[in-house]
Amino acid sequence: MRKLVLCVALSQCLLWSAGAQTPKTTSKAAPRPSATASSQTQGRIKFTEYDLPNGLHVILHQDNSTPLVAVTVMYHVGSKNEKPGRSGFAHFFEHLMFEGSENIKRGQYMKTVEGAGGQLNANTSNDRTFYYEVMPSNKLELGLYLESERMLHAKIDETGVNTQREVVKEERRQRYENQPYGSFFPEVLKRAYKVHPYKWAPIGSMEDLNAAKIEEFRDFYKEFYVPNNAILSIAGDINIEQTRQLIEKYFAEIPKGTKPIYRPNVKEPESKQEVRDVVYDNITLPGVFQAYHMPAQGTPDYYALNVLTTLLADGESSRLNKEIVDKQQKALQTSVFPLALEDPGLFITIGIANMGTKAEELEAAINAEMERVKKELVSDREFQKVKNQIESDFVTRNARAAGIAENLANYRMYFGDANLINTELERYNKVTKEDLRRVANKYLTKENRVVLYYLPKSMEPKKAAESKGE
Amino acid sequence: MKAYIKHTFLTASLAALVTTGFAQKLDRTKLPADAPAPVIQLANPESFTLANGLRVFVVQNNKLPRVAFNLLLDYEPILEGEKAGYVSIAGDLLKTGTKTRTKDQIDEAVDFIGATLSTSPTGIYAASLKKHTNQLLELMADVLLNPNFTQAELDKLKKQNISAIASRKDNPNAIASLVSNAVMYGKNHPYGETATEETVNKVTLEDARTFYNTYFRPNIGYLAVVGDITPAEARTLVEKYFSKWQRGDVPKPTYTMPKAPEKTKIVLVDRPSAAQSVIAVVSPAELKPGAPDAIRSSLMNDILGGGATARLFMNLREKRGYTYGANSSLTSDRLIGRFRAGASVRTAVTDSAVAELMNELRAIREGKPSEEELKRTKNIFSGNYVFSLENPQTIANYAIRTAQYGLPADYYANYLKNVEKVTDAEIQQMAQKFIDPSRVYIVVVGKGSEIADKLKRFGDVEYYDTQGNKVNAPAPAKAAPVGMNAQQVIDKYIAAIGGKEALAKVNDITVTLTTEVQGQAMEMVRKTMSPNKSSMVVNAMGMEVVKIISDGTKVSMMQMGQGRTLEGKEARQITLTSGTFPELRMAQNGVKATLAGTEKVNGKDAYKVVYTTDEGITWTDFFDSESGLRVQQITTQPGPQGEMQVPVSFSDYKEVNGIRFPHTIQQSMGPMQLTLNVKKIEVNKGLKDAEFEIRQ
Repeated sequence: MRKLVLCVALSQCLLWSAGAQTPKTTSKAAPRPSATASSQTQGRIKFTEYDLPNGLHVILHQDNSTPLVAVTVMYHVGSKNEKPGRSGFAHFFEHLMFEGSENIKRGQYMKTVEGAGGQLNANTSNDRTFYYEVMPSNKLELGLYLESERMLHAKIDETGVNTQREVVKEERRQRYENQPYGSFFPEVLKRAYKVHPYKWAPIGSMEDLNAAKIEEFRDFYKEFYVPNNAILSIAGDINIEQTRQLIEKYFAEIPKGTKPIYRPNVKEPESKQEVRDVVYDNITLPGVFQAYHMPAQGTPDYYALNVLTTLLADGESSRLNKEIVDKQQKALQTSVFPLALEDPGLFITIGIANMGTKAEELEAAINAEMERVKKELVSDREFQKVKNQIESDFVTRNARAAGIAENLANYRMYFGDANLINTELERYNKVTKEDLRRVANKYLTKENRVVLYYLPKSMEPKKAAESKGE
Repeated sequence: MKAYIKHTFLTASLAALVTTGFAQKLDRTKLPADAPAPVIQLANPESFTLANGLRVFVVQNNKLPRVAFNLLLDYEPILEGEKAGYVSIAGDLLKTGTKTRTKDQIDEAVDFIGATLSTSPTGIYAASLKKHTNQLLELMADVLLNPNFTQAELDKLKKQNISAIASRKDNPNAIASLVSNAVMYGKNHPYGETATEETVNKVTLEDARTFYNTYFRPNIGYLAVVGDITPAEARTLVEKYFSKWQRGDVPKPTYTMPKAPEKTKIVLVDRPSAAQSVIAVVSPAELKPGAPDAIRSSLMNDILGGGATARLFMNLREKRGYTYGANSSLTSDRLIGRFRAGASVRTAVTDSAVAELMNELRAIREGKPSEEELKRTKNIFSGNYVFSLENPQTIANYAIRTAQYGLPADYYANYLKNVEKVTDAEIQQMAQKFIDPSRVYIVVVGKGSEIADKLKRFGDVEYYDTQGNKVNAPAPAKAAPVGMNAQQVIDKYIAAIGGKEALAKVNDITVTLTTEVQGQAMEMVRKTMSPNKSSMVVNAMGMEVVKIISDGTKVSMMQMGQGRTLEGKEARQITLTSGTFPELRMAQNGVKATLAGTEKVNGKDAYKVVYTTDEGITWTDFFDSESGLRVQQITTQPGPQGEMQVPVSFSDYKEVNGIRFPHTIQQSMGPMQLTLNVKKIEVNKGLKDAEFEIRQ
């Protein structure tokens, strides 16, 4: 139970979403190629893609095995695109976009979807904002209408802004302040980055949001919520041609954006010195968070670090789990996740100490495993195990229509190639055992990391309490 | 615009190139109409039965190159009795070793093929890529057919279970659910009994083995094979790996059928420290899976309390702001189903929230739902049904449930049709059949002293403890007996533990206590020295985890080698209740003691003495009115959600050097309930001042 709670707490820190998460289930259905697709690809997951004259990129995946459809829109705007002093805008917009439009009254957006038997949600990362509706497939047109209203003329007024400010405050309290270790993500980011806008998390700062004027929100909308900055990705029980018609009907009239889109070109200087710090939180068990700078997603070393992640933390037999949780019983839980971002991200390791283990001891145990990877080549058997796990995960990722729509949009947005949904595994397979040792030595160094201890508030020295803050 | 879509391919393609200027202006003020409802074709799984009785269902679905095997054992619920908890432990034990594989080997082998393998008391789930199917089945069959239960793994699991039980005691939702079950089904029913530390401690390897040998039998099993596999392939593999599995007679116990109470009762679990009340209105419901009423009663429940647009949510949260969420459920079950409606509300509105819950239960019986409500709920049902089909496992589950409960073969194929048919009159009938507000249990876990009286208007109030045992009503705080005052109560206590003279001779006391936290043994040594010095050291796993020293004015708190020093009011809050016998010095410390009345503590009358100081420090002691001994102390401490009241109970008083000391101390620590047992008490060891010095 605790393990689950913690996992949820941690995963929620990465994506900030407007409502509850939908449960993940697996699905399978036979693909049926469309005879009229304008572009066809090889591989298990077939799709069609094209641009509207206004710049909206469309990706369609037809799978008629279950009568449902996922209508999704990914906007290429995340917290990275926020100007300093206006952090939290991208995530705030995700909330604002449920307030309604010129034709959809306040509060009706969610009710309309739910009343149609559909589900909806959205989330915001450092790089993009993602909206989706999953509907019975005969409501495809409704989903397109709703998303087009959002893109064409969403309602941005004082009432909505004030309402959502309160909701975001509650969200912040619930997920960040009231969750054990919940603040780790912003705490890690602000120490890991000195100049890059990744230094603030999508939740941003309430002060910035309070200070913002209504015109700034309208300008943000005009700059980023434009068809030429979005991907409409649809997967499920559709007919490609009919869907194209409907997309034309609802999206063609949306004008192309006229403002230049702000994409900061900031290079974070190389880290020369380890950053260490302590956060005192409402927790009982100490937590150790390490974050190593790593290259941007899609680079060869990024793939090597991903393979290393599986070796260290995927499955009961993974090194951190077997050694530190099972054998030494120093941790209740260990995990590793590479924070894959458009610009260089972070390779984050997490350990939650067992009762009676000091943070220092746990960190030493984690470091020992890192040192082992740096010194010893992985055995053939273990390397094969890791490759097998990666292959299995890669395949399972595309079980649901909503997941396929999101993955297609991601690959297109970040790599310019939606077909990586079928081929990205090859990039993982290029990684060698030597690469693992090499990237461990290159990136998992003391100078290249932030180490953050989470300790119970009761251990906080008195004076530190006053100087703490954002 | 609809016809526009039906144009020929050529026209359609051209239309895509046309700019908006040519298109007819879209009327965006209207919601688009729905396309015709999709026809749902529910695949029929292939099925066959092995000679040993194992029924197998195969759903071929080649979308992903994966195969999943889900084994379900279908037996009547087991009454576990004095070893409650053993069934769940046995289910977990399965994955911890076979005759030829250790736990490490199983873990490695599962990961080597990137697979999932999990076990439970009712079966095993295993999934992997298609190409690893043979290795996967090899592992699954080994775990299923050749388990090797070991004492070491059993001990690990018992400890985990005991920790979980301990944490449950401070979780009001868990208490509400446990107590609801105990009152609805009775503790002598598989759904009403609960595992406790005591019952888990009794579980032996033999219990787990007997359970496995009795219930892990193919003749009560359903195996769903789902994924990229043909029925022929599945048959070959299943025969190869599961034919050796031996049949066995599986007991079919019968149980008495629980009934709704004759009249509505309030079941109150008193938690003096509660800030919120958890309310659960429950009653048994005679509703079998797939019964003719199942679909319509389920719609009825969702109109009442299914989600964020249902009546309970709209009333208790949106309209009145009593709660973050309110909902209801109506579950079918082969033995006995259950209706439940509930919410967690702040203490002050407990009775108002119960009143609104009951109003909604009456309203759904007394009138038909609106057309809009019924339509919306039907749409949500259709949506959920469709979404569930995206997972091919659902199709296998439907087939298994159809076989298990003897449903008509087309039950799930006709599901949506039957949802659509339900009328508003039927919704009302279902409410009248399954919800009777005059015959329910209203279970409330909350602060009894503030809510008990106000709940009486809904029915007789009965008290239960957190384990679901009926207890006596705590006599509501009575006025202090005439002629009695706080000092007399304190004097009586002092006399009861040994008398002023004996206590005056005590200069120092060293108490060694032991406890267990999440399976870890911990030792605590508490030293006190006259007049007001004290220290406490907690050791776990050979390490000093916590060290608290009070030199009489300042308090230093160290945890894992880091800490801080309290001064002023914060320190006094601690020093006033520490020292050898702080009760002897209340007056000289400027503490005012008031006798606030008599309350029940653990079912016995106790005098309640409230202490206050000018600085606003306050705490409460309870002294047994008969023996005079202190039975409980409640202090206020800062917690994650603001201040919380921490009750500490004292019992098992025994004499050491002519003075009676409590030998069992119970305390809540965050989500845990700790029981500390005294190992040793040493009096006048000759402790030195230096031991209580605070070094910065």
